Amino acid sequence: MKISCIIVEDIQIAADFLRKFCEKSDLVEVKGHFMNVADALEFLDRERVDLLFLDVEMPGANGFDLLDRLTYSPKIILTTSKTEYAFNAFQYHVDDYLKKPFTYKRFMEAIEKLRQQQAAESSPTTTFSVPQPDNDFLFIKSEDKLIKLKKDDILFLESMRDYVKFVTAGKSYVTYSTLKNMEEKLIGQTFLKVHRSYIVNINKIDDIRGNTIYVLGNQIPIGKGHKEDLATRLNIL
Amino acid sequence: MQKIRPAFVFDENLNASFLEELFEGDTIYAETVFEDFLKDLPEYWARVETAYDNKNLPTLGTSVHTCKTLFGYVGFTDLQELCQQFENRCSVNNAEELRVDYILLIQRKEKAQHIIEKEYARLRIFNAEKD
Repeated sequence: MKISCIIVEDIQIAADFLRKFCEKSDLVEVKGHFMNVADALEFLDRERVDLLFLDVEMPGANGFDLLDRLTYSPKIILTTSKTEYAFNAFQYHVDDYLKKPFTYKRFMEAIEKLRQQQAAESSPTTTFSVPQPDNDFLFIKSEDKLIKLKKDDILFLESMRDYVKFVTAGKSYVTYSTLKNMEEKLIGQTFLKVHRSYIVNINKIDDIRGNTIYVLGNQIPIGKGHKEDLATRLNIL
Repeated sequence: MQKIRPAFVFDENLNASFLEELFEGDTIYAETVFEDFLKDLPEYWARVETAYDNKNLPTLGTSVHTCKTLFGYVGFTDLQELCQQFENRCSVNNAEELRVDYILLIQRKEKAQHIIEKEYARLRIFNAEKD
C-alpha cells in the first residue's frame, strides 16, 4: 500500500520536485499541495494522511505552528534549506529532515527509513496488556525484562522517536514502541494525548499554567491542537 | 552507424555535479525548472527589494531565504551560501549596515539570472535537437 502524503511548501519549484520524486518512487501518493499552514490544516481536519512533507519557513504561520496544531500524529519529514532547525526538529520528534534542494537518492533514503519504521510499528508490539477483568496494569519490555506497571502509577508517556518513555513517580522505563501504539492502548478515561510527543495521566496532573502541565515536578507542553480536548476532559469549575 | 550524443554540460558557474545528480540526465525537466526559475525569481526578488526599501529586516531575511532555495535548484550553491550569510545578518544588523552586502547580493543575483537565461536557451536547443 502506498504512503499517503501532503506537501506543505510555498516554493512551487520545490513542491514540483517533491511531487515528481513521489510519483517516480511509486511508493508515495500525493493527496495535495498547500502553500501555507492554514490551508494544510483545513485539509488535515477533513482527511488523514500517513506523511507530511513540511517546509518550515512559510508566509504567516511556520511548519512548527502546524505541528503544534495537529491533533493526530502522521509521520513528518521537514523540508527546509536552513540547517538551524535541526534542534527544533529533534524536539518535535520529526521523522526525517531533508535539506533543500535534495536529490532523489536522498528522498528515497528518507522514504525507506519511514517504511522500516512502519513495518516495525505493525509488527507485534513489545508492550501488552494482560487480559485481567480490571485490566489495570500492563507489561512493558525494558532492559531485557518484562516489567509490570500499574496504569495508575504512570505519570505520563513521552515519545522518543522509535521508543516510548514511561515515567512513574520513582523511575522511568524506556520500551521499543511508538506513542501511536500506546495511544491506542491507553487512551480512555485516564490517559489523554496532550501533545504530539506526550500522553498524560489526567489523575496525576498537579496544575496547569499557560501551555504547560505540571506533574510531580515534570513539565509537559500542551500542543495547540490538543487544548480543546484537554479542556473538555478536565473538570474545570 | 548511430552517432553517440554527448551529454549536456552545465555552465562552469553552476555546481554541475550536483545538477547531474539532481536531474539524473533528465534535461527536459531541467529545462522546465530553469524556465520556472526565470519566471519565479523576479516575483520573489521584488519582495526582497520591498522589504529592504521598507527596512523590514525580518521580512528581508525571509525573502532572501526563499531566493536562496530557488538558487539551489539551478545549481548556484555558492550563491546560496552568500544568501545564508545575508539572511543571518538580517537578525543582527540594521538596513544601513547591510547596504554593502545588499548591493553585492543584487550584483550576484543579476549575474545568476543572466547565466540561467543562457543555460535555459542552451537547454531548449539541446532538447529540440534530441527530438
